[in-house]
Amino acid sequence: MNYSDLAQKLLRLAERLEKHSAKIEGEALARPARKISAEADRLEAALDSFLASRKSGELILETLLRSPAAKKHLSVDVLRKILREVADKRLKSEDLAAAKREFIEVVHHHKEAEQATKTLKKFFMQAVEVPPGGKEKAALQREFIQLGSLADDEFAKEVARRTFGELRRLADANGIRFTDKTTKPRLILLVRRYSQRAILNISAAA
Amino acid sequence: MSAKVLAFINFKGGVGKTATVVNLAATLAKLHEKKVLIVDLDPQSNSSLWLMRPDRWREHVEHGRRSTFQIFEDAIQGKTRFDFNTALVQGVTTWTGFTDLPKLHLLPASVELLRIEDKIHELRAPGVFQIVEGALGPYFKAYDFVLLDCPPNLYTTTKNAIFSADSCIVPYVPDYLSLSGFHVLAEVIADFRHRFADHLPGKRRPNIGALVVSHYRQTGNVFRLAINELEISLARLKAAGLLESGALLLNPYIRHCVRVAESTSEHLPVILYAPGSIGAQDYCDLAQGFLNHFDGKK
Repeated sequence: MNYSDLAQKLLRLAERLEKHSAKIEGEALARPARKISAEADRLEAALDSFLASRKSGELILETLLRSPAAKKHLSVDVLRKILREVADKRLKSEDLAAAKREFIEVVHHHKEAEQATKTLKKFFMQAVEVPPGGKEKAALQREFIQLGSLADDEFAKEVARRTFGELRRLADANGIRFTDKTTKPRLILLVRRYSQRAILNISAAA
Repeated sequence: MSAKVLAFINFKGGVGKTATVVNLAATLAKLHEKKVLIVDLDPQSNSSLWLMRPDRWREHVEHGRRSTFQIFEDAIQGKTRFDFNTALVQGVTTWTGFTDLPKLHLLPASVELLRIEDKIHELRAPGVFQIVEGALGPYFKAYDFVLLDCPPNLYTTTKNAIFSADSCIVPYVPDYLSLSGFHVLAEVIADFRHRFADHLPGKRRPNIGALVVSHYRQTGNVFRLAINELEISLARLKAAGLLESGALLLNPYIRHCVRVAESTSEHLPVILYAPGSIGAQDYCDLAQGFLNHFDGKK
């Protein structure tokens, strides 16, 4: 059921009650009437609260603070920084859950929900930005493909010209996982194998 | 409001098309207050069944009338029985029995769509590819984003989605089979655009604008290497003009998460069903990455 359906249902009921109000009586009617009246009060209070927090921008702020993104990226330090920025206030809580509650209270008190939401959204936007590999990564990927296309003796000459550090950067940029214990000969083997595979897969796919 | 229309396509199945559409749309609606329309064009009706209880869906799309099937049926029969407002499902019904996500709308599909491909050849190109845009284009304006969930093929319904779209998004599983399919897909879209859209004045020229990686696992070399091969391919396809110049792999990669699979049986997007799960976190970050890439392009 959506809220529009509920509204229609209540309207229909209200119209019938109004029409017959002068002639209806008895406990069987009064009991559910008392219940619905009490529930209507609760619903109205909840609706008032929802609409007020939506209007002030606090609803979206609370949604953002409780969001999966907040669970992943938000810390007390971040909230502290944002609160100082938007309300010039210091966050006292050290625990994240308490800090969120305090954050909302202070923002509410200072009527800065809109600005706090804007700043929080900007923080989430920056949190997912991945620094592009840029030209260096693209160059290392081209180098990798070029190495994959070489015959064995040419490949050996090419890698002999590179330092271990250069080979590690090349491997890392091209998705080859290695550890501090991986030796240079082992890394050369991995680069050989996977660069040839990349050539084969990419040309076969094209 | 001017909608950004995005077709989610891949003729390979099981790559996360529907999961991406449903969860991205829900996150955009819930956390970014965007008005989003999902158009389910897949006869399997997976987006519809993800977001609607099966009994409600069956009742809603009975005989295909209040579904995307009717759009194609009207084109074939030369009738105008499809009514957008009665076909539209607004919000998602939660365990409370009431709707949530009021900014998320769905045009459901029905299994009758299976019959369309057999009958639609009675119509001729290019009109046969303009059916969806003709029927829904005017309604798209009311939304921030329209996400077209396509079947795992490149037949007429998918080509209708491509024709309607500003850009295409390719859900992708990092393995060689996906890589080989991706090249074919890029070529088919480029050829389709060249034959049916390039010469139309003022027409969008749909192309692949982004890829979304699903079912990602961080263990070992397997996926890192496959992603590297995809990145190298992307650079080559961009250089060949087969992708948008700004086409990219959206971040983050969506990790495998059992809570996402579970959420299909609860008929809820993962952000409502399991907001604390890594699936919900990944889709939240993906929605942000999606906005960073597409919202600025409007």
